[in-house]
Amino acid sequence: MSLPTADLNPGADARLQPASSPASHSLWGRAASRFAADRAAMIGLAIVMAFFVVALGVWLDWWGGNWAEITGGQWQPPSAEHWFGTTILGQDIFARAIFSTRTAFEIGLVVAIASTLLGAVFGALSGYFAQTPVDAVILWLKGVLDSIPFYLFVAAIAFALDGNPWAMHIAMIATFWTTTARLVRGEVMKLKNLEFVEAARAIGLHPLVIIFRHIVPNTFHILMVQATIVFVAAIKSEVILSFLGLGVSDSVSWGLMIAESTTEVIAGHYMNFIVASSFLFTLVMGFNLFSDGLQDALDPKRSGR
Amino acid sequence: MEFLQYTLRKLAGGVPLILGVTLVSFVLMVYFGPDKTYELLSKNPTAEEIAQVRAQLGYDQPFWVRYGTYLKELATLDFGYSDSTGERVGAILQRTIPVSLLLLAPGFVLGNLLGVVLGLVAAWHRGGWIDKAIMGFAVVGMSISFLVVIIAFQVLFGVVLGWFPVRGWNVHDLGSYLHYVSVPTLASVFVALGYNTRFFRAVLVEEMQRDHVRTARAFGAGAVEILWKNVLMNAMIPIVTRVMFSIPLVVVSGSLLIESYFGIPGVGKVTFDAITSGDQPILKAVVGLTAVMFVLILIVNDILYRAFDPRVALK
Repeated sequence: MSLPTADLNPGADARLQPASSPASHSLWGRAASRFAADRAAMIGLAIVMAFFVVALGVWLDWWGGNWAEITGGQWQPPSAEHWFGTTILGQDIFARAIFSTRTAFEIGLVVAIASTLLGAVFGALSGYFAQTPVDAVILWLKGVLDSIPFYLFVAAIAFALDGNPWAMHIAMIATFWTTTARLVRGEVMKLKNLEFVEAARAIGLHPLVIIFRHIVPNTFHILMVQATIVFVAAIKSEVILSFLGLGVSDSVSWGLMIAESTTEVIAGHYMNFIVASSFLFTLVMGFNLFSDGLQDALDPKRSGR
Repeated sequence: MEFLQYTLRKLAGGVPLILGVTLVSFVLMVYFGPDKTYELLSKNPTAEEIAQVRAQLGYDQPFWVRYGTYLKELATLDFGYSDSTGERVGAILQRTIPVSLLLLAPGFVLGNLLGVVLGLVAAWHRGGWIDKAIMGFAVVGMSISFLVVIIAFQVLFGVVLGWFPVRGWNVHDLGSYLHYVSVPTLASVFVALGYNTRFFRAVLVEEMQRDHVRTARAFGAGAVEILWKNVLMNAMIPIVTRVMFSIPLVVVSGSLLIESYFGIPGVGKVTFDAITSGDQPILKAVVGLTAVMFVLILIVNDILYRAFDPRVALK
């Protein structure tokens, strides 16, 4: 459905043939040095890594474990004990924001990896078998999923799975792969006419081997950029879904914190809202900068420089 | 005649899509959806009463018959009665859709117009500080959650400054309309602008690098003339496509958030309430109609291609 955050990328379809030269190993080297020279991209990477360390610490139980405990009075202002104050129930806002970082990474990683894999498989199949029934069925499926309003689709999956906590992930994966598949399909349609594919066909390799061993690795630059875009889309959607009551239920997330804060801001207590939105904004901003830098660095149009 | 044939062919091509969307939504929302039997029964029902209610809800029918009933409802635009209020679904939609359109139209138009203007300015000054500043703001705008913008604007304009109402929809004339529509419009423009500007700039930059633009510059044409005639008009196809395809998204998803947060009785609020209460007749109607709208937009979009580019043949 090309969700609100899905970044349309008009340049991608017009890309020239990537990695068709024998010097393909240096393509990544050039991309890395271009990325390193991009100041905004490096700042983005640093932000993402910092958040990842925070999330890792929560996984390893170093910090944030007491997010649900009542450790102070109601709505305490920031202090040495509670860095960002406390919630309406007296929970430590800092601990909740820290723990939510893990929630965000869990959702982002699961959705980004799964939907990128789906997009790669379906996109490659429909590109290689373009204009055949296989392609027609996959295009139809994409069209169907794109035409269902996202929030209703999530609600419907949540109903069908009867409150299963993975309903949100499944709904996001089921809808986010379509953009990736569209981009991969276009790329594969170009790649499959190149000599190396012809050679693979001439020595009698199975089409699936040709697709997944020889063609899909050449779409890796698209998959990487799309995965970062989906990551951002997933954590932004989580916030809205949790607010609508369709998202995270037995844990804490920035979306739930913002949902909680809607009653607090009317009463003039802004800490919960400000902290959760700032964490969310910083991570999304970092990921957007990282994603942009990645896209520029991997753009084969510029690899001649 | 050729035009009519073309349109009919496109409509026929949309049928599998509509069937697919309705089938998916039917399977998820109705077939696997919540069982309404016991909500309609009194305590300690007899087996007979249960069977009667199940027959009334159509649960005893086989899958394809129930799906067929849904398709018939969609074709005749008769979705029965809401589970929670008992009102006709058609009447609810007739009342709420105009509210949503009035609410969303200014933000949608402004968000796209400003996006194009900013995209043009950025593309014209490509690489300069104006471009960098506009793109920097676009990335910041893209990184702020819609929900955060809504809450922040509501607190800022409603609570702190007190300029605008933050809840409800008490519209009876132009003045009250502007009064109620301002904050939601600001919020949706703010959120849409980042994505729109980036997209439009990318499209316009691509167009600006073409030879005919360089030729026009060499002949000394002014900035406004080049941007309008040589760049914008030629970039119209991707722009129109994006604007058209964002309509169902804005109408359903945008109104869902804005209306449920501002307490505005539009179709988004009705949908939100239907989600939380499991009101199937309304959800079926909204999903089905959105799918139909999507297919219609696909067709209108193809027709508009021709209006903007006479080279696109009707085939």
